Amino acid sequence: MSRLLAANFVRLKKSHAFLAEIIFMIFLGIYEPIVRYFDMKQSGEIFPLDNGFFLCVALLLILAAVLCSLYVGTEYSDGTIRNKVVVGRRRPAIYLANLITCALADTVLCLLYFAAYLCVGLPLLGPFQAVLPQVAYYILCTFLLSIAASAIFTLAAMLIQSKAATVAVCLLGAFALLLAGSYIDSRLSEPETYPSFSLITDGEVINEGEEPNPHYLRGTKRKVYEFFYDFLPGGQAVQIVSWTVARPWNPPLYAMIITAAATGCGVYAFNKKDLK
Amino acid sequence: MDYVLRADALCKQYKHFKALDNLSLSIPRGAIYGLVGKNGAGKTTLIRLVCGLQSPTSGSYTLYGARHDQPAILGSRRRMGAVVETPSIYLELTARENLIEQYLVLGLPSFEGIDDLLKLVGLADTGKKRAKNFSLGMRQRLGIAVALAGDPDFLVLDEPANGLDPEGIVEIRELILKLNRERQITVLISSHILDELSRLATHYGFIDGGHMIRELSASDLEAACRKCTRLKVSDTKALARVLDALGLSYQIFPEGEADVYAQVNITKLALALDKEHCEILTVQERDESLESYYINLIGGGRHE
Repeated sequence: MSRLLAANFVRLKKSHAFLAEIIFMIFLGIYEPIVRYFDMKQSGEIFPLDNGFFLCVALLLILAAVLCSLYVGTEYSDGTIRNKVVVGRRRPAIYLANLITCALADTVLCLLYFAAYLCVGLPLLGPFQAVLPQVAYYILCTFLLSIAASAIFTLAAMLIQSKAATVAVCLLGAFALLLAGSYIDSRLSEPETYPSFSLITDGEVINEGEEPNPHYLRGTKRKVYEFFYDFLPGGQAVQIVSWTVARPWNPPLYAMIITAAATGCGVYAFNKKDLK
Repeated sequence: MDYVLRADALCKQYKHFKALDNLSLSIPRGAIYGLVGKNGAGKTTLIRLVCGLQSPTSGSYTLYGARHDQPAILGSRRRMGAVVETPSIYLELTARENLIEQYLVLGLPSFEGIDDLLKLVGLADTGKKRAKNFSLGMRQRLGIAVALAGDPDFLVLDEPANGLDPEGIVEIRELILKLNRERQITVLISSHILDELSRLATHYGFIDGGHMIRELSASDLEAACRKCTRLKVSDTKALARVLDALGLSYQIFPEGEADVYAQVNITKLALALDKEHCEILTVQERDESLESYYINLIGGGRHE
């Protein structure tokens, strides 16, 4: 597989999509703390370094979808995947080499964002307010999430032989995951109760205590929502961006499960697949 | 005889469509094996199976003695290169970069052979031009160069002359002949351009409906396609007596027709037949080409 990886990395270096994403991530990493710094100056409020540090995670799914679908899709559109199979490279090795290349590329994008953000943000916004182990935990979650996203989109890209269809499926999938994550987040953020007020005739408002919120999720339904919030990459992304992981074991564990399941299914299906 | 590829009762079924039906073939080492068949006959399906892109539904094939379902087949595949349907090249990369990619995939220790390979296929001067800006012929030649990376012993070419101009067709033909003669590469080539194939092939396989109709060598084909004079006469029995007396080889067909495999002196023959009260109705010189042989074979005509 090392030979396939070597060939993949050479091609990745020449990939326009990857280059564009690198430029975008570095730009975002520089732009984000500068904007926060000027907002801080203007409003007088304190915007700590922490706030925008994981902003890249919100874009990670979309960037992974674009990169995987274009990079792997080219193997089908240009027919070059045949060159690997014909000369006796094992299909699982071809699959895993593509997955590792995409996962590594996505991780590099995150690293570049973090590096750019820290280079500009540290002098402007000061150090992290969070403790170092907490920062390290969220960085680990980000890397595991980027690998899980790569596994999902590599699965789609390796099994769909049309590049255009792959791009469409991956992008729609990425947006669907993010929307699902945001929706679950909003449902779980509903307060259990809300204050009840009564307006008395002479204009006086009287607080009548707390009333139960009918939109608040309870019991099994809440547990199901919490599971998907932790399990789905979209939900994990929302939690990482906002530094609000409630069940610390779940996101990294589920990211690893997603990676293993998607890769297992992908390798099995690709092994059986009739290539054109 | 030493065979590079042997297929035995290969079948490939796509849902309700049987693309290959008990197909068997043998490709001797050093041959240029021409695979002939109309669209949908199963040529590309066979090539896909041989290249490992698809698995047979039933039957088997061996490549350099390794069965397709044995792990040793991977070692055998390292001895082959292929251009299946369209050239498999990265359009965003240059010719040299494409070859570097394939060299890396093969794990070759250095890129030394790349310049020679580019020279061999006539792409040494393409420089930084990307493959997407190449002509169809250049792409085809680059595809062959990629297939030749790693010095394969067996080259599989699916319709290599498709879409090429006459000059490009000649270039590809010369290249294939050169590879076969100078490097002793065995070639499996499918083509619609039968005239072109007849200038190359040392062996033929005729496929129809996913089935191998006939396999024969170029010399056998030449014998089958030898020049003859076709006569239509009023009495074939009389004709047979006369031809026997003249010592000419011939073959009689229904409806008063016969092929005579020799230069016929028409006057002598006509006089001899007249004595037998037999009339010559028509006389035709025939020189059967691969094309007419194929059409007769596939079209249900004369089977020898």
